[in-house]
Amino acid sequence: MKKKINIEQATKIVTQAISDVLKGKAVISEDMQLIGGKSLLDSMNLVEVCLLLEDLADEHGFEFDWASEAAMSRSRSMFRSVSTLAKEFSNQSEV
Amino acid sequence: MIIVTGASRGLGKAITERLTEKGEKVVGLARSVNGLSIEAIECDVGNYASVKNASREVKQLKQPVKAFINAAGVASMNMAVTTDESTVQKLIQTNLVGTIYCCQLFAPIMLRQKHGIFINFSTIAVALALKGESVYAASKAGVESFSRTFAREMADFNVRVNCIAPGPIQTDLLKGITDTQIKKITSQQVIPKQFQKSDVCDLVELLIDERASSLSGQVLNIGGV
Repeated sequence: MKKKINIEQATKIVTQAISDVLKGKAVISEDMQLIGGKSLLDSMNLVEVCLLLEDLADEHGFEFDWASEAAMSRSRSMFRSVSTLAKEFSNQSEV
Repeated sequence: MIIVTGASRGLGKAITERLTEKGEKVVGLARSVNGLSIEAIECDVGNYASVKNASREVKQLKQPVKAFINAAGVASMNMAVTTDESTVQKLIQTNLVGTIYCCQLFAPIMLRQKHGIFINFSTIAVALALKGESVYAASKAGVESFSRTFAREMADFNVRVNCIAPGPIQTDLLKGITDTQIKKITSQQVIPKQFQKSDVCDLVELLIDERASSLSGQVLNIGGV
């Protein structure tokens, strides 16, 4: 199955979304934690990132489901880091 | 537009009719949309996939959602020890889980708008601990607690969440309840009388109005407790 968004594109999209939400006030790296004590995002920021990604996915013709069981399971959470979120975003773009 | 679950009967239907009369565009969610005179989407609130599909359809309408009213609900007047397993499941699934699913899945529309109102429904049976309504009251106590906390989660996005807790209102949910039983309940209210669907509609209108913008995380018991 082909992915509409490859992992490099997904990483760029996710990084840009986080930067937009943080209003450019932080340097975003792939291993940046998105949840937990060391995260620069509070819960409201995280929701804003998810909404942005949902809209971007819509523009690319697929649905980004951030409330899925995989997202919610702590051990497999897509929100562990920028790279895990980008991977999930790319995976969900599969057609 | 305003979305109302349980739009095909009871309080949901009355609220839908009132808001439509007031010139609001109302989209109803109901398990059966046959015979509904408004735009309606088939939806079983207790089923996550069904609510998810309904939220997708609403999103496709590309119109702002002013308010979401969780009026869908079921009741059972039985002591806990005589309530069968499937009724327990149905009460919790429809009343509590259904309300949570709807709030979860329709909230993103309002979060984007940075504006919105959720109105959820509890029952006076929670505050009055009415004998014979223990499981029903449990499902609605969950709605109250969820609503109060959800309101805090939504406040930063300018989304208000409130709960209306009616007493015995004349709908199908009161089938089989005698006037004596109704009076026994209403006598425990601050205002000891049976209120009508129109009173519930009045409160819904009030909570949707911008003049209620200071109210969130509240449970409003009709008749008072």
